[in-house]
Amino acid sequence: MDFNPSADQDALRDTIIKFARERLNEDMITRDREQRFSRERWKACGEMGLQGLPVPEALGGSGFDPLTTVMALDAFGYGCTDNGLVFAVCAHLLSCVVPLWRFGNEAQQARYLPRLCDGTLVGVHAITEPDSGSDSFAMRTRAVRDGDDWRINGTKTFISNGPEADVIIVFAITDPAKGYHGGVTAFLLERGTPGFTASRKIEKMGLRTAPFGELSFDDVRVSDAAILGGLGGGSAIFTHAMDWERTCLFAAHVGQMQRILERGVHYARTRKQFGKAISKFQGVSHKLADFRVQLEAARLLTYRAATRLDRTRGVALDAAMAKLFVSESLVRGALDVLQIFAGYGYATEYEIEREVRDAIGSRIYSGTSDMQRNTIAAWMGL
Amino acid sequence: MLMTDPIAAAVKAYILDAFLPGADAAELTDETPLISDGILDSLATVRLVTFLEDQYKIEVAAHEANADNLDTITRIAQLVRSKLPS
Repeated sequence: MDFNPSADQDALRDTIIKFARERLNEDMITRDREQRFSRERWKACGEMGLQGLPVPEALGGSGFDPLTTVMALDAFGYGCTDNGLVFAVCAHLLSCVVPLWRFGNEAQQARYLPRLCDGTLVGVHAITEPDSGSDSFAMRTRAVRDGDDWRINGTKTFISNGPEADVIIVFAITDPAKGYHGGVTAFLLERGTPGFTASRKIEKMGLRTAPFGELSFDDVRVSDAAILGGLGGGSAIFTHAMDWERTCLFAAHVGQMQRILERGVHYARTRKQFGKAISKFQGVSHKLADFRVQLEAARLLTYRAATRLDRTRGVALDAAMAKLFVSESLVRGALDVLQIFAGYGYATEYEIEREVRDAIGSRIYSGTSDMQRNTIAAWMGL
Repeated sequence: MLMTDPIAAAVKAYILDAFLPGADAAELTDETPLISDGILDSLATVRLVTFLEDQYKIEVAAHEANADNLDTITRIAQLVRSKLPS
């Protein structure tokens, strides 16, 4: 399997890195402190084509294959120090735009995809509830028939992009007897639909520039035209979105790993203690050597998973392995580099402590590390 | 003498091997409820569908991977048969 980028893929990577460095990275410490999401930067990402990377051009996207998409997101994660913005773009792309592209009918695609891809709209995927996190399909949100329409009631929490939501894919139980297997349906909603509110913004440890919050559905009325992917098709949409998210979002984290590693190497080569560069101490250099190995392995796992997206359901295993390995390696590597920076790493102004805070969530969202291990074990028949 | 359905037999062998290691094969009949009895959870369903697609070179659409088509070995065999070239 050859993962060497083509000349076009190299050019795409260079373009995205240059764009991110010139347009997205200013004033990060303040924006992180104030938890400020930037619609201006979001729009710029849309103009760059990031919100629609794999979507066909006819539907408003950039039309890249999955491998090129992960290479682009790897570059985005590398060049953009606003990890919250990277996360917000990826959550929007992989759990809202991709499901709409893969499961939406022509009318739904035409109505939303061009504006979701160009950065006009912010999309969200609402499944998690206060009492159902890893056990997502234990949800309480219900959609019940009311004449020719549906009435949706429930609360979703920890929703990425929730406070900025323009288009919402919300999962609700439509047939409690069937449960996961055909009893959950995905509905498409728009901001402004009566009964829908982005009810609470949630403060968090890292990725603070990414909006995060709670959504309430109080007798929200929608027609059959709002059903995405067919009645009872929610589990298939969720599974498909997770395959994409666990592969492509974590490709962006591979880029973040590379950036952190390069900072660690530079610092170790220039910081002197006891009369020589600290890189000459094996306690320092071995940490960075291990991080380099993890970076290369992480990249191979995500790129391999990308080649299997939409080609086999077995990608669920590849995506779980990539997600688990990237997130655990990212956190470990970021902590090691902070340790190498020592006091400077702990100080906000050096922007290493933020990398650590931003990394921690990767072991939780898109399915915790424990859930990924459950998936991997299940595929081995355990 | 009843003829054994080769598709049902292959599906049964796969389910026993993949999801019921060590179980008595006689306890898994063609009508055993796989989903409502908890033999197939969400992950197991994905694995089963992957097996069917690989083994029989068919494609199971997202909306077809439900209890109506997968709850018993008989239904699974019917689903596969409906997708094979006639």
